Amino acid sequence: MRLWKVVLLVNLALALGIGGGYLWWGRRTERLERELAQARAAPAVGQREWRVRGVVRAILPDINLMVLSHEEIPGYMAPMTMGFRAASPKIYDGLQVGDAVRFTVRGTPPDVLVTAVDRIP
Amino acid sequence: MSLETLGFLARWAHLALAVAVVGACAVLLVGGRSDRPTARAWEDHVLRWLRRLVLLALASGALLLAYQAAYLSGRAAAAFEGRTLALVLFETQAGHVWLVRHGVLLLLFALVSLRADVDRPLDWVAGRGQALVLGAGALGLVAAGGHAAAVKPDPWPAVTIDAVHLLATGIWVGGLLPLALLLRAASREEGADARPYAVLAARRFSRLALAAVVALVVSGTGNVVTQIGSVAALVGTPYGRLLLAKLGLLLPILALAAVNRRRLVPALSGEAATVGRPAMRRLARFVTAEAMLALLVVAIGAALGMTPPARHQQPDWPFAFRLSLGALQSAPELRLRALIGSQVAVVGMAAALAALVIRSRRGPWLASAAVLAGLGLGLGLPPLAIDAYPTTYVRPRVPYQAASIAQGARLYREHCAACHGRSGAGDGDRAATLPRRPPDLRSPHTAQHTAGDLFWWITGGIPRAAMPAFGDRLGAEARWDLVNFVRALGADTAARTLGPGVEPGRPWLVAPDFTFAVGPTPARALKDYRGRRIVLLVLYTLPDSRPRLAQLAANYNVLALLGVEVVAVPGDAAPDAIRRLGADPLILFPIVTEGAREIAAAYGLFARAPHAEFLIDRQGYVRARWAPETAPVRELNLLLADIQELNQEKAATPAADEHVH
Repeated sequence: MRLWKVVLLVNLALALGIGGGYLWWGRRTERLERELAQARAAPAVGQREWRVRGVVRAILPDINLMVLSHEEIPGYMAPMTMGFRAASPKIYDGLQVGDAVRFTVRGTPPDVLVTAVDRIP
Repeated sequence: MSLETLGFLARWAHLALAVAVVGACAVLLVGGRSDRPTARAWEDHVLRWLRRLVLLALASGALLLAYQAAYLSGRAAAAFEGRTLALVLFETQAGHVWLVRHGVLLLLFALVSLRADVDRPLDWVAGRGQALVLGAGALGLVAAGGHAAAVKPDPWPAVTIDAVHLLATGIWVGGLLPLALLLRAASREEGADARPYAVLAARRFSRLALAAVVALVVSGTGNVVTQIGSVAALVGTPYGRLLLAKLGLLLPILALAAVNRRRLVPALSGEAATVGRPAMRRLARFVTAEAMLALLVVAIGAALGMTPPARHQQPDWPFAFRLSLGALQSAPELRLRALIGSQVAVVGMAAALAALVIRSRRGPWLASAAVLAGLGLGLGLPPLAIDAYPTTYVRPRVPYQAASIAQGARLYREHCAACHGRSGAGDGDRAATLPRRPPDLRSPHTAQHTAGDLFWWITGGIPRAAMPAFGDRLGAEARWDLVNFVRALGADTAARTLGPGVEPGRPWLVAPDFTFAVGPTPARALKDYRGRRIVLLVLYTLPDSRPRLAQLAANYNVLALLGVEVVAVPGDAAPDAIRRLGADPLILFPIVTEGAREIAAAYGLFARAPHAEFLIDRQGYVRARWAPETAPVRELNLLLADIQELNQEKAATPAADEHVH
């Protein structure tokens, strides 16, 4: 076979190999990223429960709402100041603005309730 | 021999071999195909050498890989452990690049070992062209595994520039020896048949080399910008000094190349016996000398690849002076001299450029232009010189943060206030006993000294002014805390020029970074708001600040809508600040319960008032400051207008630096 044909064939094989490899590898990365995003976005199945720390910023008994500055609620909410409905008015009985607390959130996001609050001394 | 030396030798050998491979392929292609026996013999000779060079490059590459394994694991024995080698090869980017490059070298070896029939022109071009492409790939990819690949955030421009630099080196430097071989063969009595071919090849190569040198200068400048970045880094770091040595070595090579190109190459076609052949013999010798010198330049290049880039090193300024326009501010009488000097120098340089363009009487023109430029510089530069020290351009080890400034303030009160005065005015109790009154640390003059200057004085003292040295009493971090505090003092004076409202498009006052937490929530930093939100920092004192906090709280939804976060800091740093504010009014923005003391200490320097507010833009600059002593607290509608002004601004200013200068 003539040399120029050999060179052409080798380059063609290289280009196909590199292109194919890139496509395969790129696709795989893409697929993994998609799966990861899906896993992240997937709504939690059924009820979940978290116990996190926060500080009481406001209590609004008229609408049964407690506003808490809280740390991250893993898999649900970044650290922020947020209003939560209480499972019963008894839960915020005796709490004051400025209290550091550890509280329990239960439910199927975004439908969650605070079910227990303990003051951190 | 130390491991490091072995690594350097392997690197040098590998780089030089890869360069030689590219050069040999390039010269073969540039010369073109010839039927002359001497030229054919030369081509076979070069091809034989090419095979050996590729084999040696593969071997030195294997050594380099072993060195890399030993270096990364910190044990010499790791160079021979399969597992460590596999780890380096498959788990590091340099390893991936190594695999690809050596795969390409193997292909090249197969190609040059193939005794293919290249009698027909198309086959010849395909074979030689393919060899050059493979060789260039093996050399250019060196860039993807070196310093350039570590440039953040986007390494590709730097890798491309470095690859161009490598390829230009390969074509120019690598092509010299094969060319010398051809010239020598053709200059012999029995090589007369190849003489026209050699002349043509030398001319073509000379043109190609000129283009390569231009590419080298351009890409080299690009490399300097990405890896060095400043004059201090060039003269003050091992990397920068190696580069200067490389440039110094390049000068005689370029001089040789210029003689070759302008004198010898044109003489090649002269009458054979008296002009042509002697010129060819001399050209062969000169080109060999050029190649030998270039081998040393490649050695420095290999050493540069093993030296941390200057940008990431602390420069050690070698001179006792530096040039700064700031020098003219304190000595107005020298301004005229500097101005005249600079204009004379500019005229001199323009004349030099003109002399290069105009061909007649170039020598005298150039000489007088150089004299003029030298005279101008001699006249204009000395007034700009101010004292400098080894640490002048060192980057502070401690960032400009509220915590550092607060710590610096504490140290200042303890160690410095007795002479410098509590406010930094130079009016301490012991100031009068000193040979020279301490300077006002708050004055703009202080800002003209670099942070490294301040660090030097604090460390070593100033004997003639009886300032003691603190290098043995305070740790390096404590001394940097003091530098940050002095910078904040200067910023306080500067902050007084801030108007009552936001000045559009003029951010300049860096907001010291700080960290804070609200109750048990995770700590946040001012920096976290960069590029995302404007921050209204409120230093408050109860009960006087309560109406203002209530007003901000009532309008928090509007402020949030405009991209503002309000961060309220109790001036007394009370840990139960949220409880003290109580349930009425309803305040939902962050009330700092941790970190308040440091924020109050640092920002308190900018506004000594019970209630102060700072508007910090998305790039981290203080854009407005309201404290009753200078400007009354901003009315809400005016505050909203200021915020709108910031929102409409295009972010042209780079984000505020984390370190002082």
